[in-house]
Amino acid sequence: MSEQKQPSSSSSEASWSEEAETTGSASVEVDIKAIPHGHVLVLAEQILGDLQPVTLELLGIGRELADKLGTTLSAMVLGHELGEMPKTLIAYGADVVYVADHPDLKYYANLPYKRVICDWMQRFEMPPHIVLAGSTTTGRDLAPRVAAYFLTGLTADTIEMDIGPYEHSTGNDPSKMGLFPDCLYAVRPSFGESLKARILGPWKNPQMATARPGVMTPLTPDWNRPMNIEHIPVHLQPEDYRVQVLEVFREVEKGVSLTDAEVIVAGGYGLGNAEGFGLLQNLADCFQNAVVGASRKAVDSGWIPYKHQVGQTGKTVRPKLYIACGISGAIQHRVGMSKSDTIIAINKDPDAPIFKFAHHGIVGDVYQVLPEMIRQLKDRNASAALNAAPSVRSSSEEGMAHV
Amino acid sequence: MPPSPTREILVLIKQVPDQNAKAGVNPDGTIDRARAKRMLNPFDRYALQAALHIKKTYGGRVTAITMGPPPAEEILLEAIAHGVDAGVLLSDRRLAASDTLATSYALTRVIEHLGAFDFIFCGLQTTDGDTAQVGPEIAERLNIPHVSYCEDFRLEQTEAETALVAKRIIEAGYQWIKMKPPALITVANSYPALEYQSIRGARQVQQLQRDAAAKANYIRVVNLDDVQADPQQCGLIGSPTIVGRTWKIAEMGGSCQMQQGAPVEQMVQHVFQQANIRELVRA
Ligand SMILES: Cc1cc2nc3c(=O)[nH]c(=O)nc-3n(C[C@H](O)[C@H](O)[C@H](O)COP(=O)(O)OP(=O)(O)OC[C@H]3O[C@@H](n4cnc5c(N)ncnc54)[C@H](O)[C@@H]3O)c2cc1C
Ligand SMILES: Nc1ncnc2c1ncn2[C@@H]1O[C@H](COP(=O)(O)O)[C@@H](O)[C@H]1O
Repeated sequence: MSEQKQPSSSSSEASWSEEAETTGSASVEVDIKAIPHGHVLVLAEQILGDLQPVTLELLGIGRELADKLGTTLSAMVLGHELGEMPKTLIAYGADVVYVADHPDLKYYANLPYKRVICDWMQRFEMPPHIVLAGSTTTGRDLAPRVAAYFLTGLTADTIEMDIGPYEHSTGNDPSKMGLFPDCLYAVRPSFGESLKARILGPWKNPQMATARPGVMTPLTPDWNRPMNIEHIPVHLQPEDYRVQVLEVFREVEKGVSLTDAEVIVAGGYGLGNAEGFGLLQNLADCFQNAVVGASRKAVDSGWIPYKHQVGQTGKTVRPKLYIACGISGAIQHRVGMSKSDTIIAINKDPDAPIFKFAHHGIVGDVYQVLPEMIRQLKDRNASAALNAAPSVRSSSEEGMAHV
Repeated sequence: MPPSPTREILVLIKQVPDQNAKAGVNPDGTIDRARAKRMLNPFDRYALQAALHIKKTYGGRVTAITMGPPPAEEILLEAIAHGVDAGVLLSDRRLAASDTLATSYALTRVIEHLGAFDFIFCGLQTTDGDTAQVGPEIAERLNIPHVSYCEDFRLEQTEAETALVAKRIIEAGYQWIKMKPPALITVANSYPALEYQSIRGARQVQQLQRDAAAKANYIRVVNLDDVQADPQQCGLIGSPTIVGRTWKIAEMGGSCQMQQGAPVEQMVQHVFQQANIRELVRA
C-alpha cells in the first residue's frame, strides 16, 4: 500500500492512466465539467512585517496561470499595520488584494490565520480555482490545514506549474471520469527516486499547491497598476486562541542571509568538526557579501545552526559563487544550490556526486585546499588569476527547471 | 475532544524504502517497493524521541501508530524496543495509493478509535511521500492546534491545566508558542536524536518476535472496518490528487573542470583562473 504521493514504478497499484493527456489546450473540446473559473489566489506571507520573497515569486507564476485561465489573480495578506505591503502585491502582479488587518494577526499562528482565510474563501460566489502558498515553514504549516478544511488536494513543494488538459478515462471510479480542460499541472521533485512528477487534482476546488522558494521568478513591479485593495472582516473564535504566540525571535546574527549573499562558502560532513566552519568563515571573509552555508548532515551534527542549511529542507540559493567544501552533493543538497552561477567543489573523493554538477572541482583535502585559497585571496599577487582578465563562461542554464 | 485522565501520547511513524540500500533500486532510479529494503522514516525518529521525552520527564503512555502493509509491523517493534508501550498497525488493501488527504483521514479514524489523547507527535516529513502535510492535515481533521518544525518544548503544569510551550523554526529565526492539549506536534530534525534502545527493550522485542500471542498484547492490527473508516475516503478513490507523468531528472555533468593530483597551490590557482571570481573578492 504505497502512497502514490511518490510516483511508483509498479503502475499496477494505480489503475489510472494518463495516456489521453495532450499537450496544449488547442485540440480540447469543451466538456460539461468545464465550469467557468474562480480566480487564482496567492496566500501572501509576511514575517514581522517583511514580505517574504516567495510571495513575489508566487505572484509571478500566479499571473501566468491566471492569464492562461482568463481569470483574475488575487492575493490575501494577513497581519497588523501592513503599510505598503498590499500595494507591493499589486505591483508584482495581483489584480486585487484582500487585507486582513487585526492586532491578533500580527504574528503568524495557524488557527487564527486559517480561520480568516477559510472564512473569506467561502464568501466568494465561485471558489478559487487555484490557491498557492510558499513551501516555507509558514506555508507548510498553514496550507495543509486549509486543504484539509476544504477536503481538497495539495501538492507540496512544486518547482513548475502550468495549466493544461487532463482526461481521466480508466480506473474503477466513475465519478472521476471526464475531460478536465483547465487542470493545474503541479510538478514536484521526488527525491528518493530522482524523478520529477506531475501531480493532478482536477476533481476538487480549489486545486492547491505550495511552491519551493527561490525557483519561480517574480515579475518586474509595475506601480501604475490599479490599486484594488479590499479590507476583509476578521472574526476570530475563542477556539482560535488555543495557540498563542509568546515570542518571536528574529535571528540578528549578521551575515546569514543565504538568499541575498553573492558568495556562499558551504561546508559538509567532510569538515569533520565544528571548528572547520571557522576556516570557512575565514574564506568567506575574503569575499564581499559572502556567508557560510552548510549541508544538512553538518547541521544535524550540531556543527552549525539550521539557518545555514542549504537544500530541500533548508534554503534555496542562487549566489554568483558557491564553494562546496566536503559536501557529497546529495540530491537534497543539490536542489537548493544548483542554480548558482558558478560552483566550485572541493572533495577528497574524485567520484563524489558533487563533481557531476559542479563547474570546477578540486580533488583534495579541505584542510589543505582552504588555507591555500585563503592565502591566495589575501595575497592577490600570489594569484595571477585574480589579476588576469575574467574568463567568460556561459552561466549554468541547468536550473531545477531543466534538470 | 477532552484530554485523557492519564497522559496519552501518540506517535505517528511510517515505514519507508531505504534509499541508500542498493536493493530494490531499479536502473532508472525508481524504487521497486517489493524488493526494496525497508526502514523507519528517519524523520520519525525525532518524533519518537520527543514522545518518549514526555513519557520520561512528565509521565504518560506512548502508543505508536502506523499505516502501511503488514511488514510495517517491524517499525512498531522497533518503537517498542525504544520504550514505546504499544503499537497499532492500520493495514488494508483499500488504502493503496492514498494521497495525503486520504492518509490523514485514515490515520484520524485510528486516532479517534483509540479515544482520548493529549499529544500526537509526527515526523517533519517522510522520505518517500515527502510532503510534511499529513501531520497538519490530521490536526485540522481533529480540530486541534498543532505546531510544526518544533525543535524544543516543555510542559507547563499548574493545578488547573497543562500547556505545551514549543519552539518552532521560522525563516526569520524562531518563535515560542503555547498551546493547550490535545495538540499535535511535528518534530524538526534539529531536535535531539533518538536514544539507543535499552537492553531490556531489545530483549522484550526479541521475545515478542518469538511469541505471537504475547505480541498481540502489544501490537494491534486493525483494518478500515475496525476503525469505522469510510472506504470512499481512502485509497485512490478517496484521494483528490494523482501522480500524472513522471520524468527522470537527468544527470547533468561532464562539464566539471577537474583539478586532481597537482600541487594544491597550482590547483587552486587554476580554479581561480577559470572561475570568474575577480569581482567578488574583497578589495
Ligand atoms: C527529505 C530529506 C531532506 C533533506 N534535506 C537536505 C537539505 O536541505 N540539505 C542537505 O544538505 N541535505 C539534505 N538532506 C540530506 C542529504 O540526503 C545528505 O545526507 C546530505 O546532504 C549529506 O551531507 P554531506 O554532503 O555534508 O555529507 P556526506 O554525504 O557524508 O558527504 C561528505 C563528503 O565529504 C567528503 N570528505 C570527507 N572528508 C573530507 C576532507 N577532509 N576533505 C574533502 N572532502 C572530504 C567525502 O568524500 C564526502 O563526499 C535531506 C535528506 C532527506 C531524506
Ligand atoms: N502511513 C503513515 N503512517 C503513520 N504516520 C504517517 C504516515 N504517513 C505520514 N505519517 C506521519 O506524517 C508525517 C509527515 O509525512 P508526509 O506528509 O508524508 O511527509 C510523518 O513523519 C509521519 O509522522
